[in-house]
Amino acid sequence: MNRSFLTNPYVLVAPGFFLAAFIILWPLLQLGQISLSEVNRFGQLKGFAGLENYVAVFTDPQFLSALARTGIWTFGIVAGTIILSVPVALVLNEDFYGRGLARIIVMLPWAVSLTMTAIVWRWALNGESGMLNSALRGLGLIDQNVQWLAQAATAFPVQIVIGILVSIPFTVTIFLGGLSSIPDDLYEAAKLEGASNWQMFSRITLPLLGPFLNIAVVMNTINVFNSFPIIWATTQGGPANSTDILVTYLYKLGFNFGKLGEASALSLMMFALLLLFTIIYVRLAMRGERA
Amino acid sequence: MSFNWLKTAFVGSVAAIALAGNAYADTVRVTVAEYSSKTGPYFEKVASEFEAANPGSDIQIEVVPWDVLQQKLTTDISGGANADLAIIGTRWLIDYVQQGVAAPLDEYMNDEFKGRFIETFLSPSVMDGKTYGLPIAASARAMYYNKELFEKAGITQPPANWDELKAAAQKIKALGGDVYGFGLQGKEIETDVYFYYAFWSQGGNLIDKDGTSGLDSEAAYKAAELYKSLIDEGLTEPGVTSLNREDVQNLFKQGRVGMMITAPFLAAQIKEEAPNLKYGVAAIPAGPNGDRGTYGVTDSIIMFENSQNKETAWKFLDYLFTTDKREEFTAGEGFLPVNKEEATRPVFAENADLKAFTDLLPNARFAPVIPGWEEIAAVTSNAIQKIYLGQGEIKPTLDAAAAEIDGIIAKNK
Repeated sequence: MNRSFLTNPYVLVAPGFFLAAFIILWPLLQLGQISLSEVNRFGQLKGFAGLENYVAVFTDPQFLSALARTGIWTFGIVAGTIILSVPVALVLNEDFYGRGLARIIVMLPWAVSLTMTAIVWRWALNGESGMLNSALRGLGLIDQNVQWLAQAATAFPVQIVIGILVSIPFTVTIFLGGLSSIPDDLYEAAKLEGASNWQMFSRITLPLLGPFLNIAVVMNTINVFNSFPIIWATTQGGPANSTDILVTYLYKLGFNFGKLGEASALSLMMFALLLLFTIIYVRLAMRGERA
Repeated sequence: MSFNWLKTAFVGSVAAIALAGNAYADTVRVTVAEYSSKTGPYFEKVASEFEAANPGSDIQIEVVPWDVLQQKLTTDISGGANADLAIIGTRWLIDYVQQGVAAPLDEYMNDEFKGRFIETFLSPSVMDGKTYGLPIAASARAMYYNKELFEKAGITQPPANWDELKAAAQKIKALGGDVYGFGLQGKEIETDVYFYYAFWSQGGNLIDKDGTSGLDSEAAYKAAELYKSLIDEGLTEPGVTSLNREDVQNLFKQGRVGMMITAPFLAAQIKEEAPNLKYGVAAIPAGPNGDRGTYGVTDSIIMFENSQNKETAWKFLDYLFTTDKREEFTAGEGFLPVNKEEATRPVFAENADLKAFTDLLPNARFAPVIPGWEEIAAVTSNAIQKIYLGQGEIKPTLDAAAAEIDGIIAKNK
């Protein structure tokens, strides 16, 4: 067949590729260059540094503890979000009076900027005048104010809970889309055979929701891994770096301490880590589907 | 995150190219830190006055919030899109000087101009005998105390030393209710500075004569012991590591804290937000040998080496530092006067609160002028947060911090 040059697939893909390259690959190259250079706090390159910046990041004890904490942070929020979002989506998928309103209420927090939400939480968590303490006192659950943000033992779990709350709207949206794609006749048939609600959920809903669960896991992981505002607005990674995750540590390296070389090295490592995780997860999920 | 920097850098440089296209000969761009809602309007006003007096000149003011100022300047400079003049924290200046970003101003300054300044505030901007910045804002710290709580607790005098402060805090605590004796800041910016007040009064030095950290000294241990004992005996507000400077100030405004150490601007805030609060301003308590130190801070306005319009930029600086313009700015923002003539104006000379601050100026200490200071301050903050939380013994924690700081100093040499 004689194809016109203009319909050659590579030519058709080219504009999109160049756009993506300009937005993604070019900055990556720049970052790579900075991370291998000696660089002053204004980003001016002062010579080749080899792997010095990478070594400096790796040998910083803060890096390892922030890495471990990022793992807990990401896993905690993603798992919590999925576990809570499934029932919420199931309820919102039922037909009931005021469902439209209920859906709007669940989605609404999504419209508020994450930084704003985090700042409101910072006020709510204030030990002396925060809403949370006064609510808990009013309910008689505590009789002394809890200083939520004073130590990591209370601050970090609370931050994870905030992370879960803000991730729910998006995740529920994905699941609602998934639920509406499951044909009703499957349930009707199951009911005729006398299946219980739990059987219908575990044999029909969950397997058919599988691909949507995978999307939700991957998207949330990418989102949460790099999520900066919640921790920054509430504790700035403190006290004594005890709530730092990689992004907040990165921000301090880059902008507070002016170590742009190390910051570039770290952000490339984070990119690689996230890419690796996503590839592995997608591979595993796909294999599960084929089997 | 990583993409965001580059995005900002990219957008910044595009904007700069666009601006450069329109610019005519006498355009001077000024990056200004937003101290309060009054900052922007003040500079806009001064700029239009200047433009009216100097036909052909065009002053463009860019107001940037403090929190992102350093980030914005860094990105602008790396993209070559920086303004002609910028306000920076004087403690950052050494980086700007070492990298040749800031231009020396001596060739423009005559003796009359130099004579306008109070020496204490100009000297931090002088490096290697050259003046690289002019103090646009100056501040120091003193102790605020709540007169009503003092009266109720039967305290007649603001404490002159730390022993008296502790006794006063105990009396205030004994009043009961939700009031606390001494407001101790334990979070975010200047957490380390709050520790230095006690440290300096014990005769400590941040950087010893041999150029190493002074945190592994008797003075530091004693200062940490003092603060830790205040916390343990319930003489501070609970959960000190969850309160930043503003949080403690808010408690003070609510009349729930007996004493706290902070800057002149708290007085301005009290006037607007808690006009009925009866408070006094006193010196920071002295140590056993009468040592005391307040933290002096200046922000400098600098001229960039790559500025194309240095003459006009200088003229604008000259205009900014005339007495009337200074008075309007300093009084509006609640800073300390930096010009000698300005200081004699009634707004400042007849202000009893400000007098407490200016009296402390002979004891003012500034952040040491060494590269990497921000990182050293962070290490210090982390160490004392651990001590406040009881997660580390005083001596080993401070010794470890001192060793880390020595490493930073050695690396930046």
